[in-house]
Amino acid sequence: MNESEVRDQLHAFIEDNFLYLHPGVQLAHGDDFLARGILDSLGFVELVEEVQRRYDIAVDDIEITEANFGSIDAITGFVVRKRA
Amino acid sequence: MCGIAGVVRPGREHPVEETALLRMARAVRHRGPDGFGLVLDRGAGFVSTRLAIVDLPGGWQPLESSADGGLLVYNGEVYNHTELRTELQAAGEGFETGSDTEVVLRMLERYGLDALDRLNGQFALAWWHADARRLVLVRDRFGVRPLHYALRDDGTLVFGSEAKALFASGEIAAAPDLEGLDEVFTLWGTRPPRTPFRGVRQLPPGGLLIWEAGRITAERSWWSADLGRDGTTTDADLADILRDSVALRLRADVPVGAYLSGGLDSSVITALAQQEAGERLQTFSVAFCDPLFDERAHQETVAAALGTTHHTIEVGPEQIAAALPEVVRHAETPLVRTAPVPLFLLAQEVRRHSITVVLTGEGADELLWGYDLFKEVAIRELHDREPQRALELLDGLYPYLGAGAARRGPAWRRFLMETGAREDPLRSHLTRVEATATVKAFYHPDLAEQIDRGRSLERLRAALPESFGRWSALERAAWLEVKTLLSPYLLAAQGDRVAMAHGVEGRFPFLDHRVFDVAAALAPERKLDGMRDKGALRELAAKLLPSDAAARPKQPYRAPEVAPFFGPGAPDWVRELLSPAGLSEAGIFDAKRVAGLVRRGQAGRIAGIRESMALVGIVSTGLWHRAFIGADAAAHAPETAAPRVRIDRCREPAKAGVA
Repeated sequence: MNESEVRDQLHAFIEDNFLYLHPGVQLAHGDDFLARGILDSLGFVELVEEVQRRYDIAVDDIEITEANFGSIDAITGFVVRKRA
Repeated sequence: MCGIAGVVRPGREHPVEETALLRMARAVRHRGPDGFGLVLDRGAGFVSTRLAIVDLPGGWQPLESSADGGLLVYNGEVYNHTELRTELQAAGEGFETGSDTEVVLRMLERYGLDALDRLNGQFALAWWHADARRLVLVRDRFGVRPLHYALRDDGTLVFGSEAKALFASGEIAAAPDLEGLDEVFTLWGTRPPRTPFRGVRQLPPGGLLIWEAGRITAERSWWSADLGRDGTTTDADLADILRDSVALRLRADVPVGAYLSGGLDSSVITALAQQEAGERLQTFSVAFCDPLFDERAHQETVAAALGTTHHTIEVGPEQIAAALPEVVRHAETPLVRTAPVPLFLLAQEVRRHSITVVLTGEGADELLWGYDLFKEVAIRELHDREPQRALELLDGLYPYLGAGAARRGPAWRRFLMETGAREDPLRSHLTRVEATATVKAFYHPDLAEQIDRGRSLERLRAALPESFGRWSALERAAWLEVKTLLSPYLLAAQGDRVAMAHGVEGRFPFLDHRVFDVAAALAPERKLDGMRDKGALRELAAKLLPSDAAARPKQPYRAPEVAPFFGPGAPDWVRELLSPAGLSEAGIFDAKRVAGLVRRGQAGRIAGIRESMALVGIVSTGLWHRAFIGADAAAHAPETAAPRVRIDRCREPAKAGVA
């Protein structure tokens, strides 16, 4: 699975599960989830669980940061690094 | 405890039909299953349905004054009626009954509205003087008992304990008030005088209204919650006044029981009641099949330690779904939580054991700062001085949310620390407001344009008392909690309505105004000291309860909110209500947006409080609309039983008859 596929999968997941609460919002891959109000704290819990399950990686508590989970691009980079 | 209703017209000539009064009586008969009375006057009519608790044979209403022709319909209890009666008798007053109703009427006759300050209780009343064509409506200090009214263009005033009595009169049509609905999706309930129905208002807690010959001539508070006291009371004062409050609330000519949640507040009340009554109390608890919500072990520990005769009902998702339509019909509002439903089922169980009065611990968390919301406020205050310590404490809040704080990521701290501007007087409540507002994302686009979503909060900001700015952040939060959650939601949809649905009267010892005054004047650290809450009450609890019960941290009362609607036993009407056709009935929510929520519900993905509140909000709005406005809006049938009191002033102006 390449980086572009990961990015597209994450976008689809976020669109299905979070963007339906924000009608009209177009989310770019670099957009900051928190600044745009897309994810709340339980959204983060769900997103992290999905990333662990889908990409078969373990996410430690201290890795749940904006640098790793703040945008689609950030998560994509995190997943690629963890799987490397 | 009872239900009341009536119609008054500006002039005497246009009658109020007896059949209309009988329909109104029927609409609130659940509040008074023991019988009813009615009065036909010229251009006016009144009904009272009775749940007999004090002076069982003699306490029937409406009650007429032989002195000045005044007439009282009264819903509730004044607990200090014995002392007031003695005082009035010493002043030469005679009594025909042993009821508190007659004491209230005599007090009003003698002292006018100044009498209200002397009444210790929970009540809503209507006091009528035909000669002056003056009606006075009054509601108790905390709004334990409801009182709704509507003023027609012709000056006719229609009132009732519940809005359904107004609709049953045939004088008032039910229609949604969009701003009222938006307020439910902001604060969990409408803040009086607003209701979810257009043109229907409710008296504010501690409020009174005077209507004279077609016009409302006065609307004012006769009591208001005064905070900002100076730490002059002690733990011992609180214990003494609470004990007295419980003793007063045991006064009844029927057996009194108690609710046991398993938490500190109801356990203390039960322990005091058992001591005061000197006999085994019957206690009642809700247990849940889902261990996430269940407090059974704690309830059983307290019941066993106190030696009560304990009853437990176990509630699962199927029972919640099955009872929700009836709960909404009684609550008369959309809901964002399912928590009222188990209490509806519990009241049913209480009634099955022939108990009609129960004591509960409601009010302690507001008076003594027990909710996590107060800790949230304290942590924000601490953040200025010790930011790292504050953030650590923050992670200990809301442990029941389903995932540890460390897994909630950066959104968690940002949400709790950054929501709302620092100078916003409502800041303490804006996290809850923002989470609740998720339901508004589902508004139909046409409707979204009609609703100014900031208006509820603007109205609240404009209604803050002048002294608000001088209070501490915690006192401000307490005032907001009393005004926005306690009365509009906890005492209503989750209190009076679900208990009175089964003719069960809840009594609230913490909501004795004397207890409120003592609690307000406690030193702040006796309410919240660091993260240790309700120190003053825990001091008392340590003398009354097993040590682990006295020290037990607060567990908020919650009920399952997703499984009832998407679990295997979910009823068919849920799917219908959430379908495009079902949603179009009320037209409040957009089918395309709701489809996303349904998809997540079906996939078992709804876990957060935001989506679950949205789900309950959308489902209950559909039920509310069907019950009052749409397909199931009842054709209002008249009461068919014979009235216990029937006073016809149209034919025999001066003569009263008791059947």
